[in-house]
Amino acid sequence: MSLQLNCPTCGRRPVEEFIYGEIPVVPDVIVDADARDVDRAFMHSNPEGPLTERWFHVYGCRRWITVRRDTRTDQLLGGA
Amino acid sequence: MTRLAAGPVFERVLTTRIVAMPAALDAARWPAGHVALRTAADEVLITPPLADARVADEHAIVLADGSFFGGWIAPALALAVLERECEWEVPHARPAFAQGMVAGLPVKLWLESERVLVLVAAPFAHDLAERFVA
Amino acid sequence: MNEFVERQISLAWNDPKPAYDVVIVGGGGHGLATAYYLAARHGITNVAVLERKYIGSGNSGRNTTIIRSNYGIPEAVRFYQRSLELYSTLEAETGRWVMHKQKGLLWMAHTEAGVRAERSRATVNTLFGAKTEYVTPQQVKEICPQVDITGSGVWPVMGASYHAEGATARHDRVVWAYAEGAMQRGVHIHQNTAVTGLQMNAGKVTGVQTNNGPIAAKIVVSAVGGHVTTLAAMAGVRLPIRTHPLQAYVTNHYAQSFDAIVASMNLLFYVSQTARGEMLIGAEIDRQPSYSYGAGHHFLQSCSHRAITVLPFLRNLRIVRQWTGVCDMSADYSPVMGVTGVDGFYVTTGWGTWGFKAIPAGGEQMAELVATGVTPELIAPFALDRFARDRTMADRGSAGTH
Repeated sequence: MSLQLNCPTCGRRPVEEFIYGEIPVVPDVIVDADARDVDRAFMHSNPEGPLTERWFHVYGCRRWITVRRDTRTDQLLGGA
Repeated sequence: MTRLAAGPVFERVLTTRIVAMPAALDAARWPAGHVALRTAADEVLITPPLADARVADEHAIVLADGSFFGGWIAPALALAVLERECEWEVPHARPAFAQGMVAGLPVKLWLESERVLVLVAAPFAHDLAERFVA
Repeated sequence: MNEFVERQISLAWNDPKPAYDVVIVGGGGHGLATAYYLAARHGITNVAVLERKYIGSGNSGRNTTIIRSNYGIPEAVRFYQRSLELYSTLEAETGRWVMHKQKGLLWMAHTEAGVRAERSRATVNTLFGAKTEYVTPQQVKEICPQVDITGSGVWPVMGASYHAEGATARHDRVVWAYAEGAMQRGVHIHQNTAVTGLQMNAGKVTGVQTNNGPIAAKIVVSAVGGHVTTLAAMAGVRLPIRTHPLQAYVTNHYAQSFDAIVASMNLLFYVSQTARGEMLIGAEIDRQPSYSYGAGHHFLQSCSHRAITVLPFLRNLRIVRQWTGVCDMSADYSPVMGVTGVDGFYVTTGWGTWGFKAIPAGGEQMAELVATGVTPELIAPFALDRFARDRTMADRGSAGTH
């Protein structure tokens, strides 16, 4: 079974109906403004574990939703 | 290789698209004979189009939208196709609105007991019609 | 050499030592090739390769074994051409049959934009040393008679680039060939040894923590696939990597021979025939970043639908096996190789969906960097600091799907 996401408007749907939107998280230890821009543009936290992310339901309501998911298992976490 | 058998001929379906505060859309009542598809909390598609759409939101956006093709299909055929081409659960209540991927295409459905309205963005009309065969 | 007269593979396992000159994390193709070339070309043998499962159990055992150099930017064409050449002599170099077979690679276009992209690819390849030519639909039919150039009437083939040197090799044999060659020269390979931390001293990496205890090292090289972000973070290094699953599958036996590797750049699938006669089919990465090896039905359905459009005979075959790897996708779809800004810590990553073909050159060049301390010219464009220097190596169109 491929990953399914819960859209509050449209219901539970296969991930192929959505477009991914990462929430960039620049670590606080990076203080230089240029370095923060580079990190925001190119680097990824890419965590192994819980991740908060945005998905655009392009095949349905065409609205953004927020999802929490464990990237090790693709299990949806509370509130999503 | 032959193409799939020809399905129904989908034609342009004119709609009125209203984007407004969710509460204003919740409170709105539409004239009889119109189908209102609540595509999102802040958006509704109405067909046939409304000549004079009013909602209680002074910033509401009301557009004539001719971007959809579609048609009314017999429920038996529609449900058979959806069973085959759809990875999500189609609502059992009637009437019901649903939207999502059908045969890989973005489709909106209005399900009544005696007929089903199928809408798809105009460029995909031919692709979708091909799939609406028994 | 054929498989019936091959000598037994000789892998001599050792107990871990407390310290090595070089520790390579990740016992896949890239890590083992780096160890092999360190020993074979530079005489550096006080080297350990640490693998958390068994060698070749990650992406080296999950890829679709395609070797090609038909990239879209000069730096990449040169690098992958070097790798393609090393692959073609790998059997002579290691004395191992890796089932290397030149097949020719067809990249078909079904749109005018696609035709322009493939013409441009042929030109750039020719200028920078790879053998790629633009071919017409009729030539496509001659190269691969199974292609329906009408695209089932839906996606007609409008042209293609043909990369005659495109090849395949058996992936686990490549892993074992490098592992054996490295071990024969004194390299240690430790399986079931997971790196759980990096030892740091005054901002320099000085070794690794493992589930079997600490190991000191003058240089630590990350050749990790799939978990590189976590490892690099232990050294405080941020990477332009997002990890996505990639699925592939094989069908039952196809009785005819299917010589070429056939891909569609517009329909996003690729097909080749394995030595066993199965049809091997893959497509693009899954859209969610994930470390899960989960496999899905949607992928099989949509990928098969697209592939059958151009290769109608596939509809008579059955899918017998499906699997997933996790791919480190870089921000510009090019690899990341070299220094990290942290002393004693090098990375080779960003191998996305195109890592197998890069194993020989990636290993050779990383070995030269470790041995000399100087970044070789061939991989200098792929340094991690290119993002901060505004020198990205954007080549998404050449990532293809493999």
